[in-house]
Amino acid sequence: MGRERESERYSRQILVPGWNQEKLKRATALIVGLGGLGSASALYLAGAGIGRLRLCDCDKVERSDLNRQVLYEESSIGSFKVEEAGRRLAALNPLVELEKLNVFLDSHTVGELVKGCQVILDGLDNLESRFILNQESFKKRIPYIYGAVHGWLGYAGFFHPPQTGCLACLMQPGLSQPEPVPVFGTVPGMIGLVQATEAIKWIQGIAPSLLGRLLIYDGLHLTFDLVNVDKNPACPLCSKK
Amino acid sequence: MVIYLKAGGELRAKLQPDVDDCTRRVETEAGVSLRDILAGIGINPAFVAFALKGGDVKRLDYVPAEGDVITLQPPVSGG
Repeated sequence: MGRERESERYSRQILVPGWNQEKLKRATALIVGLGGLGSASALYLAGAGIGRLRLCDCDKVERSDLNRQVLYEESSIGSFKVEEAGRRLAALNPLVELEKLNVFLDSHTVGELVKGCQVILDGLDNLESRFILNQESFKKRIPYIYGAVHGWLGYAGFFHPPQTGCLACLMQPGLSQPEPVPVFGTVPGMIGLVQATEAIKWIQGIAPSLLGRLLIYDGLHLTFDLVNVDKNPACPLCSKK
Repeated sequence: MVIYLKAGGELRAKLQPDVDDCTRRVETEAGVSLRDILAGIGINPAFVAFALKGGDVKRLDYVPAEGDVITLQPPVSGG
């Protein structure tokens, strides 16, 4: 695509005060998990023209995903999510370089997954994997944009120790996790877009509003609460000497 | 001393509110952590990810003061 068409594609967003398309174009973001959260954040990061999206998921699309995972359609069922997501995102914006990783996140794979990224977006569906991602983001000093949903409720946060606390400052492993999680589309959509917005701000050098804070979104009562997440002096990860 | 615990969503039923539809008045001794207070009223701390007091997150090792109003937040794990 020529330079002129590229300029036309982004012509409305470069009017936004403080916008820096070149910074966005040079950036790499990792999205781990291409479910409801990852679908929303990937679509909007691709649309905005991020330079490279590293997509990680090892699941196949199931029919029960289609109420919220807006990257996929009926014909996607049975296909790997990274492949279907890649197809959809390439169709949306061919200028974005896509890395499709059909990889299960664990303590062995996480190091390679985050390598070279400016920011990590959490699209995961369980707390154990989130703690692994949180730990690696702390080790590599890459900001971790947390997101999670359950029913009408969604959480989003931006963790970047030592400037902020980390996920392990907020909560401990061993919490109750129902299976399957009740979820419908707008809640992960809302939280995924908040994550994408915070990623875009970070990449462009604008202070993320969730830095050291947590957004608690309650879709049932339409409340958005921003609360402070202090560093935990007893955090087993980021306060360890 | 007395504190007030609040919860929404699925935690509300576990809290068994008695002040209004989301608040429970709890009598407790001073110096007891929120984790122990929850255990004392029959709420498994694994159902509470963190708590809120005013605009701040409080972990379950927080020791409440007289009259505190504390909102319990459930674990949220879906994506």
